[in-house]
Amino acid sequence: MRAGKWQIPETLFYSHDNYWVKLDGDEALLGLTEYGQSTTGDILYLELVPAGAVIRRGESFGSIESGKWVGSLVAPVSGIVMESNRELETSPRNVNSDPYGEGWMLRVKLHDPCATEGLMDAVAYQQWVEEQVRREQEDEVVS
Amino acid sequence: MSATWRLLDTGSLPAAANMALDKVILAARNQGIVPNTLRFLQFSPHCVLVGYHQAVELEVEEEYCRQHGIEINRRLTGGGNLYWDEGQLGWEVFARKDTPGIPVRLNDMYRLMCECAVAGLARLGVRARYRPANDIEVDGRKISGTGGTESGDAFLYQGTLLTDFDVDTMVRCLKLPVQKLEDKQVKSFKERVTCLREVLGYLPPMEAIKQAMAEGFAEVLGVKLEPGKLTREEEQMLAQELPRFQSEKWTRGTRTLPRDNCLSMAEYKTPGGLIRVSLRLDRTRSRIKSAFITGDFFAYPERSILDLEAALKNSSSRASDVLKTVREFFARNEVRIPGVEADDFYHALYLAINRTGDENEQVAL
Repeated sequence: MRAGKWQIPETLFYSHDNYWVKLDGDEALLGLTEYGQSTTGDILYLELVPAGAVIRRGESFGSIESGKWVGSLVAPVSGIVMESNRELETSPRNVNSDPYGEGWMLRVKLHDPCATEGLMDAVAYQQWVEEQVRREQEDEVVS
Repeated sequence: MSATWRLLDTGSLPAAANMALDKVILAARNQGIVPNTLRFLQFSPHCVLVGYHQAVELEVEEEYCRQHGIEINRRLTGGGNLYWDEGQLGWEVFARKDTPGIPVRLNDMYRLMCECAVAGLARLGVRARYRPANDIEVDGRKISGTGGTESGDAFLYQGTLLTDFDVDTMVRCLKLPVQKLEDKQVKSFKERVTCLREVLGYLPPMEAIKQAMAEGFAEVLGVKLEPGKLTREEEQMLAQELPRFQSEKWTRGTRTLPRDNCLSMAEYKTPGGLIRVSLRLDRTRSRIKSAFITGDFFAYPERSILDLEAALKNSSSRASDVLKTVREFFARNEVRIPGVEADDFYHALYLAINRTGDENEQVAL
């Protein structure tokens, strides 16, 4: 499934902050979506919380730098970090080039079995991205 | 009717207080307890600021700073090391991300913020322009660098304005790609930046500069600026945050990997002249942190080499990517250098990137 030029895998769940979540029993893999990385631009630095850390939905789990912008990575789910993708510290561009593959960020043991509450499925996320793109185009026309 | 923003002038402050205020005002804006704000700031004493993800030991000549009373601190925002003397003016925008007219895409946001500063400079009689990704320049020479960060639903975007600048101190207190260079090349490096005094031939009073910049922001953003002060809540938050920003833990808090900063130089002879390249490389992340290119060739337009350096900054140092960056730059800008081809620059860069045994003292870290 796609929204414009951005890929949206159908089996994943999505947050409004443009993170994807892949569920596997009581664990989840997560990362930034292809659309999300496109709004961020070329990523220069990435810092992730280490394995063992507790993350909470809506709170920061690391920092990201692109251009000269420092942003927070915002957790789409709550849980304990089982594995953090250390490869991204030396190859942060993997998030740009392969957001759903080598660009994965954390593997998390979920706190809540209903972790997908508040997340969008692929269809809902596709509509949401299209709405964002429409807004961007309107902004361009105004400016 | 246009929206009203707060215009804040916090005057000259030590580095830690200015960094803490960035955190405080951003948090206050995110909490919705203050309006969108344009802040002017200055530093006293002079200081060096590293970017959020930079490591002080890799970016700053610490011994020189100690000897000359130059404070060292770390920004909330990204980008490279900066020297702030007391004659520089900083500007900062604190706003909600959903403010009408603020673009979603960061590259669009950089452009908008820089256009505000360009409009302010125009009111002072300076013909500046935005240079992607984050700089403002006058005839190819940098007069303002910018960067930003976010917290929740609010963002901070900040920039420098070089009013009257002590470039000799900058070259001594920062680790720049000029170590080991001859005086003539260092002089050429200094010419990469300029300041209001140099461009105008005089330095307008600081109040006039602030007035012009404020008008530029108000015009481009379509807002009304109302002079204001820090609120009591912000003052209280500042008192709480200040000790953290005064600590070594904050200044040296980055987890940047060691051995990721080296200086590498190369020379390459072409029919049109010698190309000298000096690069600061992040070998861990395969990245060119900054580039300095000189030589005895003649480039048209004259500013091409400065723009090529800007295009190379923070770009990939992988051979195929460097070739692509250089070729695209030459194609896009119609650069003409008699006797020198785009691929000659690639070759010089390639030699510097692949040079071994030329790493500076960072290797010992």
